[in-house]
Amino acid sequence: MIKVRLEPDGKDLEFHGLKTVLGLLNKLGLRPTMALVVRDGGLLTPDIRIKSGDEILVRKVTSAG
Amino acid sequence: MKCKRCKKPAVVGLPSHHTAFCEECFYVYFTRQVETAIRRQKMFTFDERILVALSGGKDSLTLMLALHELGYDVAGLHIDLGIYESSVRARAKVESFCEQHGLTLQVLEMEAEGLPMPDVKEHINRPVCSVCGKVKRHYFNKIAREGNFDALATGHNLDDEVARLFANTLRWDSGYLSDQGPTLPAAEGFVRKVKPLYRLSEFETANYAFLRGIEIHSDPCPFASGASFTSHKELIGELEHRSPGSKFQFYDGFLKRGREAFKMLEKEVGEELSPCEDCGSPTSVEICGVCRVKRAVRDKKAAAAQ
Repeated sequence: MIKVRLEPDGKDLEFHGLKTVLGLLNKLGLRPTMALVVRDGGLLTPDIRIKSGDEILVRKVTSAG
Repeated sequence: MKCKRCKKPAVVGLPSHHTAFCEECFYVYFTRQVETAIRRQKMFTFDERILVALSGGKDSLTLMLALHELGYDVAGLHIDLGIYESSVRARAKVESFCEQHGLTLQVLEMEAEGLPMPDVKEHINRPVCSVCGKVKRHYFNKIAREGNFDALATGHNLDDEVARLFANTLRWDSGYLSDQGPTLPAAEGFVRKVKPLYRLSEFETANYAFLRGIEIHSDPCPFASGASFTSHKELIGELEHRSPGSKFQFYDGFLKRGREAFKMLEKEVGEELSPCEDCGSPTSVEICGVCRVKRAVRDKKAAAAQ
């Protein structure tokens, strides 16, 4: 299971079976330049592999307003 | 992905440039984009004083840090809109950021000016976001003029500029199209306005702020209700995904081939400006829009108190 924190929505989500950051973004309906993806304090590019047990922060970049 | 410059593992992928960078090379790329913007659009020089509008968001704080590190003479201006906890948190982020980096900061409180946004929302029958934008632009210009600054810099990025151009084009608003651009020269009563981040996307400024460890204020404004610019940004984001580079081409093409035509049109039909009777700011009527709002808020509050 991969735990995902989505900001600024403040939602906590869980996913199974995802293999890459791109797969995660697709699942969230986001394009690669619409959000920062962070694991262990470091930025991830869309091609990076993710695995069960990862805790990932997805921070949308579009400012509201 | 590998960094295009040094071949280390990349941390930022930029499809619009068909490239990717590691942290160090991304800083080089980012800074060069800011320097190119300043140079090509003749924004300001190292001898001039720049007032930077600081909201507490990623763009304004990133801009302030980038200009400071490039060696420009910058000072920050934060407008405290008086919107409850949201404004308290935004102001705290700006104050902490400026203290951490040893930057000069001026804070202007709208409560003291008789224009806290909750009062505007309650008493003025117009969209509060529109009035808020007008009030901020008014005071940015006023403080820059009073402080004898040479230019006012804002953190507008490429996405902001493209969304605004798209909205203005949908309405064919010749007035706004005539003066949209990264540098608006000083005119009678108006300080020069510049947008040094106009070549960089929101994604790029977000990456920069994150990598530099800038603590930003990212809560949505409690008064905002899904502004139209946000939906325009989503549409344009989808276009950019399908056709990388189209955002910059749209904006740059307008600057090179479209804006001048609207400027000429506006010269023919544009309104004459004179100083506002209340505050001296340039206006096409006797009392400027912000002073009219201020009067209306004051009168309606007095009437409600009776």
